Parts: sequence; structure tokens; C-alpha cells
Amino acid sequence: MTLEARNRPVPHGVPSGLGALSVSDLNKNFVIGGAPRPVLENINLTVKPGEFVSIVGASGCGKSTLLRLIVGLDADYSGDIRLDGERVATTSLDRGIVFQDHRLFPWMTLEQNIELALLNTDTPKARRAQIVAEHIALVNLQGFEKAYPHQLSGGMAQRAAIARALVTEPKVLLLDEPLGALDALTRVHVQNELQRIWMAQRSTMLMVTHDVEEALYLGDRVVVMAPNPGRIRRIVEVDLPHPRDRAAPLLHRLKDEILAELTAAPAAPANLVRLPGREER
Amino acid sequence: MSALLSQRWARVAIGLVVPALFLGWWQAQATGGASALAFAPLDSIAATFVELAGNGSLLADMLATLSRSLSGLLVGGTLGIAIGVAMAVWRPLDRVLGPALQAIRQVPMIGWLPLVGLWFGTGQGAELIVVCLSAFFPVLLSTYEGVAHVERRYLEVGRIYGFTPLQRFRLILFPAAMPLILTGMTQGLAFAWIASIATEIVMGAGSGLGVTMQLAQTQQRMDVILVAIIVTAAIGFAINHLFLRLRRHLLRWQAAPL
Amino acid sequence: MASAALSIPPSVGTGNGRPLLSALLAPVGLIALWQVACLSGVFPSQVLVPPSDVARALWSLAESGDLQRHVGESMFRLGVGFVIGSVAGLVFGATIALSRLAEAALAPFFLALWQVPVIAFVPMLVIFLGIDERFKIVIVALAAFFPVALATFDGVRGVPKRWFEVARVYRTRLPDLVWRILLPAALPAVLTGLRVALTRAWIVLVAAELLAADSGIGQMMEMGRQMFRIDVVLAGVVVSGVIGFALDAAAKAVERRATRWRRA
Repeated sequence: MTLEARNRPVPHGVPSGLGALSVSDLNKNFVIGGAPRPVLENINLTVKPGEFVSIVGASGCGKSTLLRLIVGLDADYSGDIRLDGERVATTSLDRGIVFQDHRLFPWMTLEQNIELALLNTDTPKARRAQIVAEHIALVNLQGFEKAYPHQLSGGMAQRAAIARALVTEPKVLLLDEPLGALDALTRVHVQNELQRIWMAQRSTMLMVTHDVEEALYLGDRVVVMAPNPGRIRRIVEVDLPHPRDRAAPLLHRLKDEILAELTAAPAAPANLVRLPGREER
Repeated sequence: MSALLSQRWARVAIGLVVPALFLGWWQAQATGGASALAFAPLDSIAATFVELAGNGSLLADMLATLSRSLSGLLVGGTLGIAIGVAMAVWRPLDRVLGPALQAIRQVPMIGWLPLVGLWFGTGQGAELIVVCLSAFFPVLLSTYEGVAHVERRYLEVGRIYGFTPLQRFRLILFPAAMPLILTGMTQGLAFAWIASIATEIVMGAGSGLGVTMQLAQTQQRMDVILVAIIVTAAIGFAINHLFLRLRRHLLRWQAAPL
Repeated sequence: MASAALSIPPSVGTGNGRPLLSALLAPVGLIALWQVACLSGVFPSQVLVPPSDVARALWSLAESGDLQRHVGESMFRLGVGFVIGSVAGLVFGATIALSRLAEAALAPFFLALWQVPVIAFVPMLVIFLGIDERFKIVIVALAAFFPVALATFDGVRGVPKRWFEVARVYRTRLPDLVWRILLPAALPAVLTGLRVALTRAWIVLVAAELLAADSGIGQMMEMGRQMFRIDVVLAGVVVSGVIGFALDAAAKAVERRATRWRRA
């Protein structure tokens, strides 16, 4: 992390003291074939303003569903989700989200994609172009303002999606496996960018990932989830200063611990077929 | 052989063989064959072309058929987009109108001509209505498909940024459906063009390439018919090409040219 | 211009595969509405007649044998012309797909002719052939020829080269190559082409019969128009629509059945 990056100026104000997220006794079922299947069970989580919380877990532990509930795309749950004390019922510009697929509109340029986030805010039209430019600079995409998404690489498109999510200054930014579709090298690069942006803006961020190392590298706390039904196994505190050092021994120790938990070998399924080995013929 | 064929000049030369043979055969038939009266010698075709181009009737016919097709596309296409969008966005409308439209669609477009003729007389009005109908259906169907199948993930982005229904239509539904809408418009244009010629031949009202062809047939003027056919092919090709260019421009945001 | 893309699957009005009963409800309701509207005198009889009149016209035409005669003649022309045109199209399409020389020699002329709407050939063919059966069969054959030729070309050309390479590795003999690889691989495209050709052929036939015929559904409609018998015209509309629908549905069923392996 270069000195210059650390001292990059913060665009148009930092949200302060806002963005406290609380999830209490959250339960969600999907109805599959007529029978209700629990997807999330007794989720209790508090996120402090300005905190970066990572969520890890195997597939099927409902991580993405949890984010969709928090962002308001799904309102069918029992329990309580509150942002700064107010109950979450539907989508709102207070809660932004970055998806695994960048979801930039293919028919709009980069600029237009980011600007559309400001459509329904009360930002004066005159200011919008400037705000968009600031955020394009924030994610290091200067020069690509007029590019169409198909002309951007995966990493660039994802950074653009991050810029779009940040431009409304949401109280909470949710990230649903944002780097899952990127190759390993790009992933490291964008992780660094994400950390830099977070350090500069200090907005509350909640990120779901299947990459334990990434979760530990970026997060103040790591929520480890178990599947079937999705529930919180434990929450790990990562007490290291930012910017993080990837080689820090604590990170690796925690990673080994969490991985061991997540990959604990389950008992062999009852219907496992035993094929005769060559030796037995 | 394939080495030879990879040369452009060779392919062009080979491609000219069959047409040349055909023209040779035609000329032979016209100047001494059994039914020479039916065929027209090549020079008379050329002379007729010059004559019709010179006295302006060829241009008048071209413009008449073109304007009929384009008006039909404009009216039928606009209606098709409007109703297609409406039916995709309000499902109850789809359930009410859908079966009726499907039923109308089963009748060959040209089959509506006698009925329309009874209602509106056998003038150009009847022709235009059938042309509009021909353009309407492809546009309706593709617009419906396009709008109804806009990817949910883009609509979710709209929800996240609090889009109003109008914004949702203008910024998501319409652009996302555009590739299919344009496909429908291309097909609609083709159908409108064909329907223009067809209704002109059948009804023979006003002027147009089809009218001229039909008239020439009653007068046994094969040379006029051939001039009309060649012009029809040329214009059809040109419009198709132009439309393709327009499509590429409107869809320049797509990754691969479609 | 006549080379417009093959048709887009219409899911309009299907309501996502609702049971047959509710699917029939709307059309039946519409017919009922039509009947009531006419009986109430909203439409003068020159404009619209009630479905009961149309049914009566159909009945009397059937009784006198005229309906069967017209339908029979139309179907005969369609059948013969379609078979001739399709076979020619299959052979032509396969030839230019398999031989680069044939493609270079024949494709330009073919594509030039493809630009002309088939209906535009009618006046020319009338001069050559008159308005007898030959003319109608030829025009139907022409209408079927182009889509089938194009679809066959696409189908055969589109067989992935990889499959031929696999065949070579296993040293497949030529008959097996054609029967077990080429044909099944090209079949979906060819069947779609045949279906489109059938629809186009039917449309062109009705148009040709409107224009120049002494029998057939198209001619029945034109005569009805000339005698101001709107019930006869509507009867013709209904019959041609039903036939068109039946042809399309039958073709789709064949297509689905033969390409089961694809959707698996």
C-alpha cells in the first residue's frame, strides 16, 4: 500500500456515525415442493458503523440470501433487520450492493451506468457529473468513461460496479462474492483496491465470500456460517491494524482454524455405492 | 482446388458461370426457341429498362412500393411495439388479447385481402392495411419476447436504485429488449415489402412494382415484368443492407456484431 | 429482402402452458362476443356477419361438396409442390454445403434470386404456364425451395468439424458417416426449414389462388368477395386459418419428436 494511495482525498464527505446494522432472530424458509425448507436459522448479527465484516461459509449456507434480505430485495422473513434503528422493508438508497456479476447495463457507457445511481437522489444535476468523475477516479478507471461494459475486463467492470454502489453514499455497502468471478491475480488487485477505498471512506461494509483468506484480509470480524440450515457457527475477531499485511502470522493461523472447521469431513452418506476395486477382481 | 477457390477472383469468376449460362440459354429461347413469344430478348429488356427509367414510371413505381412498405412498417411496427410492451408488462392484457391475436395470425396475411377489400373497397387503403398487418405481427411477437424476458438481475438493479415504472421502462426494459425488437422490425420490414408486392399484384390498385408486373402480365410484356423483378430484387437487397447497418449502430453496445 | 430470419417462437397468449380448458376459454369467449355483437345490430351486415352465418355458409359449402373440392384442390397443390420444392431444396442445400466448388458456382445466382419475393414470380410464371395446375404447383415448389435450401445449407455446414474428426479417429465408413453423424446433426435445422417452408408455401398458394385459379380456398374467398358474400369470405378465412394452424402444429410436432435428443 503506497503512501500516496493512503493519502488519497475522500470524495464529498464521509458518512460518520451512521450505518449501524442489526439483525435479530432472523429466520427464513424456502418452500420447495410444498414443504418449507429452512434456509436461515436464528441469525443474530450486529455491525458497527464503519466496520468491515466478512461472512464465509460453504455453498448452501444462505449467505447470499442473507444479503438479499438486508438489501431489501426479499421481504419474506421472520425476525428483525434494522438499519440505524429503522426496520428494513424494501430496497433503499441507504443500502447499496455489489453483486458477483457486475450487473452494469450493457447498453450504457461506464459514466452512464454510474450516473443512473444518482437518478433518484436529491443531488443537484449540476453536481452529478462531478460526483461520477470523482468515483471513477476512486476506482482508478479514468479514461474509460465512455467505454461500454463489454469493452471492460472483469476486474474493471467489478470496480465500476463498486463505484456505482458507492456513489449514493449508502450507509451500508453489501458485497455478494464481489470477486468470485475474477481470476486469482485480478482478485488480489481488487482486494487491495477495496481495502484502500474502505480505509478512505470508512463506510460500513458487509461482504460475503467463499475465500477465507480474503475474508480475513479485509474484515474486522469474520462470521463463519454453517449450512443446512444456514446459521452462524462463530464470529472471529481479526485484531490487526489496516492496511493489512498478507503475510501476518495471525491471518494464517485464523485461516487454518476456520478452514479446518469448514471442511470437517462429514460422515459418509448412507447411500454411498461401493464399487469393487481393481484388486478385488 | 481449395487453393484456387481461396482466391477471390477465382470465386467471382466461377460465380459468374451459372448466370452467364442462364442468360445465354434465355437469349437462345427468346430468339428461336419453341415459346419465343413468352421469353423476351435481353436487348429488349435493356431497352425497356432505359425507357421506363427515362419516362419516370419506374421511379414512380419504386417510390410507391417503398412508401407503402415503409408506412406499413411504421404503423404496424409502432402498434406492434406498443401492444407488445403493454402485453409483456400487464399480464392480464396478454391473457385477453393473446388468443385473439394468435387466431388472426394463423390466417395467411394475404387471405385477409378479400375481407379487407369488402370492408374498405379495393383501393390502396385495403393494400395498406394488409401491409400494416404483415409488419405488425413479427414486431409484436419479438417485442413481447424481448420485454417479457428482460433479465431479472437488471430489474433488481433498478429496484435497488429506486427506479419509477417509467425509468424502469426507459432505462432497462426498452434497451434490453432492443435486440429482439430490432429483429422483429427487420422481419417486419421484409414482410411489409413482400406484402406490398403481393397486394399490388392481387389488387392492382394505384402504382407500384407489383401493379406494373400484373399489368404487364395481362399485356404479355415479359420485358416489363423482368425489369420490375430485377428492380425489386435490387431494392430489397439495398433496404436489407441499410437496415443491417442501422441495427449495428443501435446495438453498438453489444459484444459481438449480431 | 425475402431472406428475413426464420420465425420467432410465439409465446404470446399462451399464459405459460395453462391447461387446455382455460386456453380454449378466451377464443370461445371471443366467438360468443362476436355473435352477440352482430345480433345486437352493431355491425351492418356488409361489414360483419355473426359466426352462425359463417357456420351456415361452411355447412352449405360442405353439403354441396364445394368445400371439400376447394380444400382438396388446395391441399393437392400444396402437397405436390411442397414435396418437389423441398426435395430440390434439400439436394441443392446439401450440395453447396458439401462442395466448395458447387457453392462458388451456384450460391451467387441462388442468393440473387432469393432477394425476389416468391410472389413476384407469379406474373412471370402466368405468362409461361398459364393459370393451370402446373403454375400453382411450380409457385408452391419455388416457395418451399428457398427456405429448405438455406436451412439445409446451415444444417450441413453447421455440423461441428470436431464430430467429423471423431469419426475419422474411429475410422467411420461413409454410409455410417452420413447416416449416423451428418443426418442427425443437420436434422434440427432442416426440420425447422421444412416447417417454415410449409407455412410460406401455404401463404403463397392462397395468394396465387386469389389471383389466378378456378378452384381452391383462395379462389373461393375471391369469388365470395366479388359476389359480396361476406359469409363465404369469412368461411374461407376460417378454413385457411385452421389449415395453416394445423400444418404448423403438425410440423412442430414432427420437429419436436425428431429432435428429442437435443433437448435432453
